Amino acid sequence: MTHQKLWIVLAGASLLGGSVDAEVSEGEKLFALKVKPLFAEKCNACHGDEPEKIKGDFDMRTRESLLKGGDYFGDEVLMPGEGEKSFLYLTTTRTEEDYEMPPKEADQLTEEQQWWIRDWINAGAPWPDDERVAFLQEKYAEGEKVSTSKALTEDWQERRYEGGKLWSYRPLQVSDLPEGRHPIDWFIDRKLKDAGLDPAPPAAALELVRRLSFGLTGLPPEPEEVKQFQAEYARDPAAAVLGYGRERMASPHYGEQFGRHWLDVARYADSAGFANDYARPNAWRYRDYVVRSFNEDKPYSEFVREQIAGDEIDPKNPELLVATGFLRMGPWEQTGMSVFKETRQMWLDDVTDSVGQTFLAHAMQCAKCHDHKFDPVPTRDYYRMMAVFSTTQFADRDAPFLGGESKEGFAERLSWTESKVKYTEAMGAETKKNVIRHKIEKDAVEPIAHAVYTGKTVHKKNVQGRQRMAPKPWANGYFDEDAILTGGDVYSPGDSVVPGALSAAESLAGMEVKPFPKGQGKRRLALADWIADPKNPLTARVMVNRVWSWHFGKGIAGNPNNFGGTGKPPTHPELLDYLANWFMENDWSVKKLNELIVSSAAFQRSSAHPDPERESEVDPKKETYASFLPRRLTAEELRDAMLVASGEWNPAVGGIPARPDINFEVAVQPRQIMGGTATVYEPDPEPEQRNRRSLYAERVRGLRDPFLETFNQPGPDDSCEIRETSTVAPQALTLMNTEEVQDRALALAARLLREDASDAQILDRAFQRTLGRPATDREREACLAHWKQASEEESQNVPEPKEFVTEVERTVRVEKTGEFTTFTEKLPAYEKYIPDLQRSDVDARTRGLSHICVVLFNLNEFSYLD
Amino acid sequence: MSAPLHATPTRRETLFGLGAGLGSVAFSSLLQAAGGHPGPHHPARAKRVIFLMMEGGPSHLDTFDPKPELARRHLQEFTREGDMQSAMSSGKRYFVQSPFDFVKAGECGADISKPWEHLKNVVDDICFFRGCQVESVNHPTACFHVNTGNRFGGDPAVGAWVTYGLGSENDNLPGFVVLPRTAYPQGGSGNWSNGFLPADYQGTPLRPKGSPILDLNPPAGITRERQRKNLDLLARLNQEHLKIRPGRDDLAARMESYELAYRMQTEVPGVLDLKGEKQATLDAYGIGNAKTDDFGRKCLMARRLVEKGVRFVQAYAGNWDSHDYIEKAHGSLISSVDQPIAALITDLKERGLLDETLIVWCGEFGRTPDNGLRGGKQAYGRDHNAKAMSMWFAGGGVKAGHTVGATDEIGAEAVDCVHHIRDVHVTLLHLLGLDDNRLTFYHAGRHKQLSQFGGQVIQELLA
Repeated sequence: MTHQKLWIVLAGASLLGGSVDAEVSEGEKLFALKVKPLFAEKCNACHGDEPEKIKGDFDMRTRESLLKGGDYFGDEVLMPGEGEKSFLYLTTTRTEEDYEMPPKEADQLTEEQQWWIRDWINAGAPWPDDERVAFLQEKYAEGEKVSTSKALTEDWQERRYEGGKLWSYRPLQVSDLPEGRHPIDWFIDRKLKDAGLDPAPPAAALELVRRLSFGLTGLPPEPEEVKQFQAEYARDPAAAVLGYGRERMASPHYGEQFGRHWLDVARYADSAGFANDYARPNAWRYRDYVVRSFNEDKPYSEFVREQIAGDEIDPKNPELLVATGFLRMGPWEQTGMSVFKETRQMWLDDVTDSVGQTFLAHAMQCAKCHDHKFDPVPTRDYYRMMAVFSTTQFADRDAPFLGGESKEGFAERLSWTESKVKYTEAMGAETKKNVIRHKIEKDAVEPIAHAVYTGKTVHKKNVQGRQRMAPKPWANGYFDEDAILTGGDVYSPGDSVVPGALSAAESLAGMEVKPFPKGQGKRRLALADWIADPKNPLTARVMVNRVWSWHFGKGIAGNPNNFGGTGKPPTHPELLDYLANWFMENDWSVKKLNELIVSSAAFQRSSAHPDPERESEVDPKKETYASFLPRRLTAEELRDAMLVASGEWNPAVGGIPARPDINFEVAVQPRQIMGGTATVYEPDPEPEQRNRRSLYAERVRGLRDPFLETFNQPGPDDSCEIRETSTVAPQALTLMNTEEVQDRALALAARLLREDASDAQILDRAFQRTLGRPATDREREACLAHWKQASEEESQNVPEPKEFVTEVERTVRVEKTGEFTTFTEKLPAYEKYIPDLQRSDVDARTRGLSHICVVLFNLNEFSYLD
Repeated sequence: MSAPLHATPTRRETLFGLGAGLGSVAFSSLLQAAGGHPGPHHPARAKRVIFLMMEGGPSHLDTFDPKPELARRHLQEFTREGDMQSAMSSGKRYFVQSPFDFVKAGECGADISKPWEHLKNVVDDICFFRGCQVESVNHPTACFHVNTGNRFGGDPAVGAWVTYGLGSENDNLPGFVVLPRTAYPQGGSGNWSNGFLPADYQGTPLRPKGSPILDLNPPAGITRERQRKNLDLLARLNQEHLKIRPGRDDLAARMESYELAYRMQTEVPGVLDLKGEKQATLDAYGIGNAKTDDFGRKCLMARRLVEKGVRFVQAYAGNWDSHDYIEKAHGSLISSVDQPIAALITDLKERGLLDETLIVWCGEFGRTPDNGLRGGKQAYGRDHNAKAMSMWFAGGGVKAGHTVGATDEIGAEAVDCVHHIRDVHVTLLHLLGLDDNRLTFYHAGRHKQLSQFGGQVIQELLA
C-alpha cells in the first residue's frame, strides 16, 4: 500500500521512467543505500548539519546546492554523468593536494566508497526525496538495523550494520562437538586443516614447565621442579601438564599473577595522581582482594558484582566494601584550584568508560559527545550508564580487617610515617604540603576501605585525606542531573535519561529488559546484575577472551578492551562462544578455564614451527595457533625472576605496599607537587621488606619505578588490555648497569658459591637457577674462562663499602620569590637501613662470578619464553 | 668442535655475527626498521623544534601583553561571576597593575616588559601570539594539556607525535629529548610520555644532575673494559641461542640494542660536554653566571642537540606560579631565561639553523588581572587564567616581527584570533610538514590524533 503511494510520488521525477520494476534505477538505489548515508556520516558535519557553519560555502543537503558548488569549486563539483571529472569524487580519492576530503585521514573513504560516489554521478546523480529513499532502503538495504535506546539523530537510528560487526551482541552460538575431542583443539585443528597447515609438535618439557610456571604464577620454576616435571612428562605428558598446572594454581602466587593481569585492566595505583599525588593509603586492600578472589577461584560473575556494587550487596561485609575500590582506581583529585562540578564529572566519565572497557569491552568514551561512529551505542546509552553512578559517592569506609589479610609490617611502617611527619614538620614552608601527604599515609594500617556509598552528591572544596561517609546519605547535597550532556560539556545538559546499560546488547541478544532503579534505588546493583546476567552476550566472552590472551599473548578477539566494530573480530568465533558458554556452565571458574586451556595441544605446542616458511606464508599474522607465540617476560616477571634466582625473594603474600630499592637518582629526584616539592622516595629498611614481588611495590602515579617503566609496565592512568613489548636501548642500559640487577647478580653468585661444588657444577647451577637447564659444554667452557679472568681482575680491586646517607640536601626554587633555597631532608628509612649484599662483603671470586650472573640475567633466553 | 666460544670476538664479529642482517639499528630500533614514519605529509617549514616550556604559568600581563587599564584600576575591587569558580577565586579580589614598565622593541615595535633586556633585541625574529586559550586552571592537567593535548594525561606528548611522524636524524640519540628542571613537573614523566605510541617515541630526559641518562654508565667498580667483555660474552651466548631460532627478528633486535646502548655511552657525554664551545658562546648564553647558568646550559644544549639531528627538544624553566610577589618572582625568572633565550635565537640564526628550527615559548596558562587578599595582605600576585595567555614562536615558517591576537582591555580573556591550544598543536605539526588529521594512531577503538578531535592551522601565525 505504501508501496503504491511512493510510486506515485516519484513518477514525476525526471530521472525515472519505464515500467514499475524498471523504475528503480541503479543510480537511485546507490544514492539511497550508499551515497546518502555516506554523506551523512562523512560530509554533512561540515557541509550541512549546521547550516550557519557550513565550510567553504558548500552545502551538501540538496542536489541543487551540490550542483552550485562552493568557494573552492563551482559546477565542476558535480557534473552528472561525469563521475571521473567531478571533484565531489576526485577529492575523496585524496589525489587533489590540499583538497583531500574528508580532511581527516582517519575518516578517509575506502576505494569502494569512492566508487559509489563516482558511479552515482555517472548514473546522473539522481536525488530521490526522503520518502522514496526510505522505501528504497526498506526494500533493498543490506545489513541490519539495531534497536537501541534512542539516538541523537534519526539517520543514526536508522543506520544499518554489517552483520559481521555485531558479533559480540549476538547470543552465544554453541556448537556440538564430537565425543572425546578437546574443544579447543577441535576448533583450532579444524581451521588449521582448512588452511592446509600442519601444527608444530609439542614443546620440549623444559619449555613447557617454564611456560606453565611463568604463565600461572609469574615466577620461574625451581630447578628441582624442572627435573621432576621432565621426569613426569616423559612418563605421561598429559598428566604431567595437568598435575603441574593444578599445583601451580593451588599456590598463592597464582592469584598474584592473575591479579596482576586484572590490575592492568583496572589501573591499580597507590596514589591519586595529578598535582598533589596524595597517597591512597587503603588501595592495597583492593589489590589483595583481587589476588584473593583469583586464589579462591571466586566465580567471575560474583567478582564482577562485588566490584561494581559490593556495598549495595552487603554494606556490612568488609570484603565487599573493599571490592568497590575498583570504581575509584582512576586518577582523581579535587584541590582548592579545581571546580568541583568538573572534577565530579571527570570521575563520572572515567567510571563509565572504565566499567565499559573492563567488563563489556566497550570504550564508552567514543559515545560521549555523539552517537558512536561505528557501533550501535547511542550517546543516550553512555549517559544512561553514567546515571547508574550519579548517586555513587566516595568514602573511605570502616571495614575491619579479615582473617586472610596481611598485617605484616604495620608497626614499622607507622613508625616510619610518624618520623617522616615529624621531620617534615620541622623542615619549613617549602615542604609544608608533605606534612599533610605523610599524615594521610598513616591510614594505611587502619581498617578502612577505599570504597563508595550510595547517596546524594555533596559539594566539596578541597579533598585531602580520608573522606568520611555522610551519616545520612540522602539528607544533604543534591542529585546530579541524569541527562545527556551536549557535546560532553558538563555545563550543557540536554535530554534527561534514566539509568540503563547497552541497549543494543539487550535487543540483539534478547536479554530481558528490566528497568534500572532511579532515585534512591540500588542503581549499581542493577547494572552489576545486568552485566553478570548469563544472557548478557558480552560478559563471558570478554573474560574468556582476556584469560585466553593471558595464556597465548593475544586474544581470540584481538582487542580485549574493544569488542565493537573497530576492534579486531575473533579469529575463532565459534571457539570463543564455546568457551564463553563452557565458562558459565562451569560456575564462571577461571581456574577450570585455565585447566582447559593448558591441557590443549594448542597451548602445549612448540614455538618453533618445523616449516617456518610455510607457516609465515599461510599465516603471516600467526592467527592459526600452528605454533605457540613466544613472549618476553613482563617487567614484573623479570624483576621477580632475578629475586627468585638470587634467593633473596620474600614470598609473603599481600599487605601494605612494599618499597623496594629503586634507582637512587630517581628516588632523590625532586618532583613538584602543589605548592612545593615532594619528599624523596625511601625504600624499606630491611631486605625482606624490599625484596617482595613487584606486584606489591608501591605504585605512585607521579613516581614510576624506572626499571618497571622501562620494561613496558603500563602507566596506571589508562586501562591496559595487553602489554606492549618494545625493545629499546635503555632496557639494555638498565639490565647491564642498574644497581638492582648488579645486587641480584652478586647475591646469586654468593648463593651459588655457598654450595659445595666444583666450578663446573657451580656454573651448571647458575644456568639452572636462571634458565632452568645446565650449561652446554661450549657455554660452560666460555663461562669458566670468563669467570677466571673476571676474578683475576676483581682481585686487583678492593671495593669500598657503599655509604648510605641518612639525609639529603635539597634545593628548590621558592614560588613566591623565584629565589633558591636549600634545606636538609632527613631519611628515617636509612637510619636503620640494612643493605643487600654488597661487593665489599664478598671475595674476588664471588665478584667474578657475579659478572657471569649479570650476563645470564641479560640473556635473551632469560627474558623470553619459548 | 668449531671455534672456542671464549675467544673474544672483535666488534665486527659481534655485529656481523648476528645473522639477522640488522647491522646498525637506530635508537628507536624496531619500528624504524619495520617500515618508517607516516610523515611528512607536505613540505615542511621547519625540521625540528625547540620547545621552551615555562612551567607554572607565566603572566602575559607582565611579559608581552601590557594593559594600561590595569594601572588605572589598580587595587579597585574586582568581581567575577559564573558558577565555574574554584575556591581559588574566593574572598575579596582586586585589580593588580603590572609592576613592570613596557617598551616597544625592534622594528616591529613589539610590546615587551623591561626585565627582558636581551630578548627585546631579537623581537624582530619573534611572532607573539595572544589568542590562545586552554581549559584547565590546575597545573598538572594544564601541563598535560599543553604537552599532550589531553588534560588527563596518558596520551603521547607533542614531541612523541612529532618523532613518530618524522623519525630522528641521529641513530645514536633519541629523537625526543627533554631537559627538565632538577625538580620534575607535576605529573612527572607523563609530560613527555609516549602514551599509546610505541615506547621508542617517549621523551628521554637528560637530567641536569647526576647521570644524564639513568644507568648510562656501569656502576662504581666496574670498568668499561670489563663491561665490554661482559657484553661480548653476552653476544656469544645469545648467538648460540639465536642459531636454533632462525627468523626471530625480535631476539636479534634485542641483541643489537645492547650494542646501541654501548655506543650511547660515548655519544651522550659527547653531546653534553661543552668543552668544545668557545668562551664567547658560553658567555653569550650566560653560562658561568649563577643567575643564567642553568637555563643557559639548557639552551646551548638544545642547539647542540638539534645540530646533531634530534627532532624535538623540550627545555623546562620555572616555576612561574607567582600567586604573590610577582615583581620579585617574575623579575627573577625573567632574568634567568632572558639572556639564554636571546642567545639561542641569535646563535641559531648565525649558524643558519633558525629558518629550519621552530622555537616555541609557552606556559600551561596565563594569569589573572586580579589577586585576592591572602594572609590578610595584598602581595601583588596573580592567579591562574585559562582564558588568556601569551606565547611566542620564532624560526621556521612563522611570521617574524608580528603580534597576533589580542586580549580584552584588562587581559582577562582572549578576544581576537582566539584559538584553543589544539590549534596551536595543529599549527606546530603543520609547520613540520605534518597534518594532524593524517598523523593518527589506532588505539582503544579510535584513530587518535594529537588534537584529539581535529583542529585548524592558525594561518595568522604563518609567514
